[in-house]
Amino acid sequence: MKRSWGWVGLMALVLCLSVSWMTGCAKKASLKEGAVVTQEQKVVAQTPAEASAAAADDQAARERALQEQALRDQAAREAAAKEAKDAADRAKKEAAAKAAAILKELQIADVNFDYNMYNLRPEAQDILKKGAPAYLKYRDYKLVVEGHCDERGTAEYNLALGEKRATEAAKYLADLGIEKERIKTIRAHFVIFPPVK
Amino acid sequence: MYNLKFPAGLALLLLLLFSAGPAYGKVYIDIDSPSFQQFPIAVADFKPLRPFPENEKLSLLFSDTLSRDLTLTGYFHLLDRKAFLEDPNRAGITAEGIRFEDWTVIGAEYLVKGGFQTDGRELVAEFRLFDVVRGELVVGKRYSGKSGDHNRMVMQFVSEILLALTGEAGLFDTRIAFVKKSATSAEIYTINFDGSDPRRVTNYNALTLSPRWSPDGRFLAFTSYKEGNPDIYLRDLESGSTRKIAFYPGLNLPGSWSRDGKRLLVTLSRDGNQEIYEMNVENGLLLRLTRDFSIDVSPVRSPDERRIAFVSNRSGSPQIYVMDADGGNVRRLTYGGNYNTSPAWSPKGKKIAYEGSVNGRFQIFVIDAEGGDPQQVTFEAGDHESPSWSPDGRYLAYSVRGYGRSRIEIMNAGGQGVRVLHEDKDTSQSPFWSPHLR
Repeated sequence: MKRSWGWVGLMALVLCLSVSWMTGCAKKASLKEGAVVTQEQKVVAQTPAEASAAAADDQAARERALQEQALRDQAAREAAAKEAKDAADRAKKEAAAKAAAILKELQIADVNFDYNMYNLRPEAQDILKKGAPAYLKYRDYKLVVEGHCDERGTAEYNLALGEKRATEAAKYLADLGIEKERIKTIRAHFVIFPPVK
Repeated sequence: MYNLKFPAGLALLLLLLFSAGPAYGKVYIDIDSPSFQQFPIAVADFKPLRPFPENEKLSLLFSDTLSRDLTLTGYFHLLDRKAFLEDPNRAGITAEGIRFEDWTVIGAEYLVKGGFQTDGRELVAEFRLFDVVRGELVVGKRYSGKSGDHNRMVMQFVSEILLALTGEAGLFDTRIAFVKKSATSAEIYTINFDGSDPRRVTNYNALTLSPRWSPDGRFLAFTSYKEGNPDIYLRDLESGSTRKIAFYPGLNLPGSWSRDGKRLLVTLSRDGNQEIYEMNVENGLLLRLTRDFSIDVSPVRSPDERRIAFVSNRSGSPQIYVMDADGGNVRRLTYGGNYNTSPAWSPKGKKIAYEGSVNGRFQIFVIDAEGGDPQQVTFEAGDHESPSWSPDGRYLAYSVRGYGRSRIEIMNAGGQGVRVLHEDKDTSQSPFWSPHLR
């Protein structure tokens, strides 16, 4: 044959660990919105009480006072709404930044396998050991383990191989204390998830 | 009478007009034997059936398509038109109008003549095969259909010629399913044996793979990730409907069908590891056949259904194994090389084709089903994968990729006569030959 490539070097056999969905962010934002509504109701409730206390002989003054009061109320409402919106935005931003930081902490590097093998190499074990503690700290997060194979080789056999690899990594992560229910494994051929270089 | 029904169900009326000469006996020949001599055959240009002018292009299209398809079968040596002695303006298309010595003198043993007429979108064509040595009609047919059906009419008549001369109808009533991959998805297509009429079967925008025809040609089983998990689906090619038949957690891959179309071999990882099962297609009942803590995948039945070949890495590398139909008596079949996969059992039962790695590239091999020395049948550069036998066992279809190209090829089972079946910008893989689509 014209070409003879070393198998091990050629086969970029990749196992990619990535973090799946998260929870909690949306909940915080809706709590703040609830607080805004309560404030507005208070302002409106004061209006009829003050109006009944005013004198009956100067109707024009009373109307003017009422009008001014209405304007003041509106301004107060707008200010309160703005403040609430700003607070919600800030909270959202903070939550997003916090989530991003957590996601970064939860990232586990890709794990490579030897050609046609699915047992974890010592380097792979080290990577998983380093990555597991973050999942013990943030228990709301789940993880997805994707098993990949090189495009070369038989599609059916490669799918089985990718599944074996994902399963091996998932087992190891479970042994490190991450609950099995939080780990989802998927097996993927090159076609849908190109191997990471 | 041998009657072909095309899967598209297009109205192609078939009328038997002319009966074969009563004395004409069928010749059963072995094209693969070294002593085989191709039949010298002449194809005359088709003539209008009525005394009106017809489209001359259509006249050439009939004779050219017929010549191409006859060549494809491997049985015929086509005589050059330029050598023809007959005056086409004076000769007829029936035995009475033919001077047979005009044909025997140029070395022909057989002659095909035909005529056609068009009425709007209607097309009628007559075909006749003559034995010019005996000076008699062998078989004649009249077909009516739509304009554009000329290719189907020709394929149908070539099947008649093969049936008359060899006792087998050839492969013009077969199609080949394969997987076409683009950047984001892989879909199943089917294509005629002569490379015409490619049709898309799935449109899921997902990874879809492993097409497996049912023995009656009506269903295609395949695996698709269209709902996220690799599940097995069954497409009814007549009604176009699709049913999900295996959707256990993990891998669900189809293997080969039983002859009665009721049981499908499958690979499932539902029990925590990739194992081979036999699934009852009607009620989904499973019979587990392998129990080994390694990968077991790609099961294929022997034609007598007594044995199953499959791929396992129980020895460390993927190799072909054979077991009894009940899962017992497992033995290893391949020993050469460290990667042997995709077994395909020949229709006559004696051989198993597969792909094996040679110096880092995949090539197709054929091995005796009882074991022994494998014979390498592809040698070109690039990866040759997924062999599939034609229903008569004469040909192998397989995929080739490498150096920026990808295609499906067909060759004689012995390794000669390579022909490109399909090639385009996408990657084409996993060909699987249909049964006769009667």
